[in-house]
Amino acid sequence: MTVTGGPAGEGQGGGAPAGSLRVRLFAATVIGLAVALALAGVVLHGLFREHVLQQFQIGLGQQLDQLTARLAVDAQGRPAIDPQALSDPRWQQPYSGLYWQIDEVAPGGQGHVAVRRSRSLWDDRLVVPGDVLIDGALHVHETGGPRDSHLLLLERTVRLAEQPEVRWRLLVGADLKDTQAALERFGRVLGVSLAVLFVLLVLAAVAQLWVGLRPLRRLQGDLQALQDARATTLGGPYPSEIQPLVDDFNRVLEQNRRVVERARTQAGNLAHALKTPLAVLDQAAARAAVGPEAGLARLVGEQVGLARRQVDWHLARARMSATRQMPGQRCEVLACVRGLVRVMEKVHAARALHVRVEDAPPTYFAGEEQDLQEMLGNLLDNACKWARREVVVTVAPPGGARPGCLCVRIEDDGPGIDAARLTEVLDRGIRLDESVPGSGLGLAIVSELSGLYGGGLQLQRGAGGGVVAVLELPAP
Amino acid sequence: MRVLLVEDEPVLRGQLRLSLEEAGYVVDEADNGRDAHFLGGTEAFDAVVLDLGLPLLDGLSVLRRWRAEGRGMPVLILTARDNWHEKVTGIDAGADDYLTKPFHTEELLARLRALIRRAGGLASPVLTCGELVLDTRSGRVSFQGTPVTLTSHEYKVLAYLMHRPGQLVSRGELTEHIYAQDFDRDSNTIEVFVGRLRRKLAADLIETVRGQGYRLVPR
Repeated sequence: MTVTGGPAGEGQGGGAPAGSLRVRLFAATVIGLAVALALAGVVLHGLFREHVLQQFQIGLGQQLDQLTARLAVDAQGRPAIDPQALSDPRWQQPYSGLYWQIDEVAPGGQGHVAVRRSRSLWDDRLVVPGDVLIDGALHVHETGGPRDSHLLLLERTVRLAEQPEVRWRLLVGADLKDTQAALERFGRVLGVSLAVLFVLLVLAAVAQLWVGLRPLRRLQGDLQALQDARATTLGGPYPSEIQPLVDDFNRVLEQNRRVVERARTQAGNLAHALKTPLAVLDQAAARAAVGPEAGLARLVGEQVGLARRQVDWHLARARMSATRQMPGQRCEVLACVRGLVRVMEKVHAARALHVRVEDAPPTYFAGEEQDLQEMLGNLLDNACKWARREVVVTVAPPGGARPGCLCVRIEDDGPGIDAARLTEVLDRGIRLDESVPGSGLGLAIVSELSGLYGGGLQLQRGAGGGVVAVLELPAP
Repeated sequence: MRVLLVEDEPVLRGQLRLSLEEAGYVVDEADNGRDAHFLGGTEAFDAVVLDLGLPLLDGLSVLRRWRAEGRGMPVLILTARDNWHEKVTGIDAGADDYLTKPFHTEELLARLRALIRRAGGLASPVLTCGELVLDTRSGRVSFQGTPVTLTSHEYKVLAYLMHRPGQLVSRGELTEHIYAQDFDRDSNTIEVFVGRLRRKLAADLIETVRGQGYRLVPR
């Protein structure tokens, strides 16, 4: 037979956590970094390309200027360039990548005829989309060149003083191969650099998260310590963003403790206020028991007994109403048992009982010490009342039938109780034997109080015929 | 046997005093902790009945001070505070027994008798010294199987000596333990009571050690 109350651990709330703060921050940082670095790569590469092409174009422009300056007209009235006058040796080297060409522009501006070209062009020609050029204007094209090369091409039309009616188009082109190779090289270096930067920044973000979230991890540890009853408040100090929360939490804990303390004190005061007058009445009744008022005295005596049981029950309930499993509570069971055994040895000294406490590893109860004393005190007192010679107390750490619960067995060698009546004695105020003093409330109080903690009380028949009280209580 | 009764509720104190006196105890009273501490520290008591909720100085502090000062008389705590935490605290403060209010007078007297007996190293409530038998529960005395009628003071002297069989008890000690503090003590009256006891029991039962006191001799 087991008597238990409602589970004490209900309503802890929360459910599944809404993701991890660390994962969220990390993901946001990594995505942000990746996007920013990719953008930076694109922009940097574009800027570099623009700069390099601009430089390339400036160089080519100078070649065009030189060509324009060297332009003369030969005896047949055709344009001529003295090859010696051009300084760059690539003009002479076939397919060197640097070319010039002079076209004659048809009178309507449409159609061009190549009349001169550099030696480097060999048999090829520079082909440019036909566009309308104003004299002196510079046009830039990127176009295909000889042998599948890719050229940057500048064109300009000029008129010579000798033949003002004829327009000559001067073209200068240079292979972009080397520039593009340089751009690709730069792109690779930039990519690797940005990748390394990305890795370093991610590492820095991880370090930042680790350092930044350390107070939260500490808080987590402190809460665990509270849960395990290794601490009674959250420690500190914490960063200014968290400290107010921690302070509030500690305030709630303290307030809870005060409520319990106040309830107990009030119960104690009420006990004092009610029981002393009851004692006076009882004494007066006992004194009048052998006189003319014997009937009244008996009635008063009975009523005092009844009132005492009511007061005991309701005071126990009042104390219990303050009982709650608060984080951070724990007390050592064996120390509590030994304190109570000292009381039993004095209070039951006349019976010369032996109360044996079996050795056990340190075992803790997750609750108020006073509640544990109340439960074990009632059970031990009951065992001592019935025992003939010996009471044996065994404390077992968690690992028994009820998960997470420690177990205290208190066995007496008394006359025992019929198996059929074992349940009955746990009911409020049931006394199977009126000859032994007591209110009959002790076991009912233990049963109810252990239930409030999510534990339970069982009464069994001992091997020697006595009663074994098995009290199961939550361990931290 | 002299008992110190410490209780601040005057009606209950009066009732207890009456019950204790009827049971043959000499009773001194205190209604606050400070007086109780003073009396217990200066007078010789065979037991103390101590309430915990007292004005001026609480009962637990009184008890702790007595024990710290080496006062070892048996103390029974009589209180309305009945939770086990308070019982453990009381016993650990040096109490020898704990009784909660309301209580039955017989239980209080039985516990008090047992405390006094245990303090003298005696196990049984029936004290014997040779053919002399004193039942502490009923207050009856018999010698060689015949009941003997004693006055209250004769009983007190005999009971005190029987709690210390074979021990030398001075006249002053006897006076202290059979008269209350405010009583006009005359140690010569002890001699009168001893003389009467010798006549009622046997002449050589109580030995006089000259200048030192009396000793109960088993026979």
